[in-house]
Amino acid sequence: MPRSKNKFLKGLRSQLALQMIAIAGLFVLAVFAYIPMSGIIIAFKDYKSAAGFVGFFTSPWTSQNGFKHFIAFFSDPWFGRVLKNTLGISVLKLLFSFPAPIIFALALNELRLSKFKRVVQTVSYLPHFISWVVVYGLVFTFLNTQTGFVSRIMVDLGLWSEPYNFLANESTFWTLAVITDVWKELGWWSIIFLAAITGIDPGLYEAAKVDGASRWRCVWHITLPGIKGTVVVLLILALGGLFSGGMGGSNFDQTYLMGNNVNYPTSMTIGYYAYQTGILNQRYSYATAVGLFQSVISVTLVGLSNWSSKKLTGEGIV
Amino acid sequence: MERRKNKIRAAMSDRVLDVLVILICVLVLVLTFYPFFYSIIISFSDGQDALRGGIYLWPRKFSLENYKAVLRIDYIYNAAVISVLRTLVGTLVSLSFSGIFAYSLSHKNLYFKRFYMIVLIIPMYFSGGLIPYYMTIRSLHLMNSFWVYILPNLVNAFNVIIMISFFREIPESLEEAAKIDGAGYLRIYFQVILPISAPLMATMALFIGVFHWNAWTDAAFFITDKNLKTLSFVLINLINQTEAAAQLAQTGVGTLGVKQSTIVGETLRPAAMMITILPIIMVYPFLQKYFVKGIMIGSVKG
Repeated sequence: MPRSKNKFLKGLRSQLALQMIAIAGLFVLAVFAYIPMSGIIIAFKDYKSAAGFVGFFTSPWTSQNGFKHFIAFFSDPWFGRVLKNTLGISVLKLLFSFPAPIIFALALNELRLSKFKRVVQTVSYLPHFISWVVVYGLVFTFLNTQTGFVSRIMVDLGLWSEPYNFLANESTFWTLAVITDVWKELGWWSIIFLAAITGIDPGLYEAAKVDGASRWRCVWHITLPGIKGTVVVLLILALGGLFSGGMGGSNFDQTYLMGNNVNYPTSMTIGYYAYQTGILNQRYSYATAVGLFQSVISVTLVGLSNWSSKKLTGEGIV
Repeated sequence: MERRKNKIRAAMSDRVLDVLVILICVLVLVLTFYPFFYSIIISFSDGQDALRGGIYLWPRKFSLENYKAVLRIDYIYNAAVISVLRTLVGTLVSLSFSGIFAYSLSHKNLYFKRFYMIVLIIPMYFSGGLIPYYMTIRSLHLMNSFWVYILPNLVNAFNVIIMISFFREIPESLEEAAKIDGAGYLRIYFQVILPISAPLMATMALFIGVFHWNAWTDAAFFITDKNLKTLSFVLINLINQTEAAAQLAQTGVGTLGVKQSTIVGETLRPAAMMITILPIIMVYPFLQKYFVKGIMIGSVKG
């Protein structure tokens, strides 16, 4: 017994520098990730901001076994709206933002003009690196009613008699959110799929060529199945993000920037709702309850999709 | 005969594929590039003239007034300085800290490694939400402080994981050799590991740098001091305000002097946007080849 304990201590000592570095990193996480996590507790309390940090633990528990805020949220008229918007936008994003990069990656892979390929690739990742603020600026430049590019060109070509109001309009927000998301992230996600495609054994293609298969067939029978693993992993991540906003992204920026007084019935997503009730209206406990609800559902979704994918295809993240 | 027929059929459908593929790529190219291009030509256009419409491919009446006007905006110099400072400091600090943290966690023989990894990964999926985070920042006295831009971003789990994958690929023999020469872990990191991690560091620098340059939510939530706002945030205000400015200019109602009336929201906004993305466009081509490799490494492993 003493001998193995000695060995343990000795080993630890030889790694001392590494351990201290690791602990430093964990300390940062503890402060900026875990302490806020512990703040979840105020979702079950009547927290008053004057109480400061200590108030996290000293505030009184709320009525209904601490669930007062959750019940308030579920019975709030906004609850259904917020859920509908969040899920609606995320599902739409999944339907379009997910296949698009795959198709694009496949197309890029089949492209044989290498210089052109490089140009297309470089340009396609560019939108990922600009902020949502700039994207909003572009949206505004193109779609605003008086001077927007789209309105102008449609009127100039005689297709429309008058400009269409894209931005202050309930029915367009979902479409806008999805289109801007696809535009921004298409190139970026395609890199991941392209990387997966390069992992496919070239021998498979050669064998198929010998058998006289057309390139269509190669794509359908070799390339697509070859990236199945990557597709599944990313699909799991995307499904897990359904509640916060699509493939690892967030609905928040879009709602904050493109939401306005006119379209808020369709633009209010759960993340923004938490922000509004919490920081703007200062209902701290309530907003925390909303945020907690969102987190729990997200984790459950990730877990569910990981589990079901394992059952169905044998692949998963965890 | 049958095989020949198949081959001809295959060749024809290959042609169709070629055309389709080129079409898709051209579509992506145009749709991605044109909005930027349009913004650039509009930003170099005289304001009043641009309002008449009809500009699609090239500025009709060239003007630098918009850019000059952007530079006259309230607090723009401040915001630019803050953004640059934040990007430089934030990238350097995050890169160093995350890098050495990832190095530590990449050792197979690290005691408690499993525990550390779990602690690292949990916050990726589950968080306390905005309000507790806001409260924490407040309690740490980081409200209205420059450091609120830097400190919370020291460790980004996603980046750390990518770096861990990369470091794991480095042959252990390199480290062993250095250990035999008597080097401690820190020295090994700086003298052995870092030099050969250039592609990784370039990639991470790009990711982190872009994050800092584009970030606006921390400026929005935690900073009220106008001197500490970032460029992104000033841009949001500009975009929203130019609605009003554009309307004023349109109806011709307003007390803007003759000189100023050539400045119009419509052309001012793209100018501001272009200035904001300029650093990214400048840095992007250099680092682009690195990060494509970096992602390939990270994802093939993951």
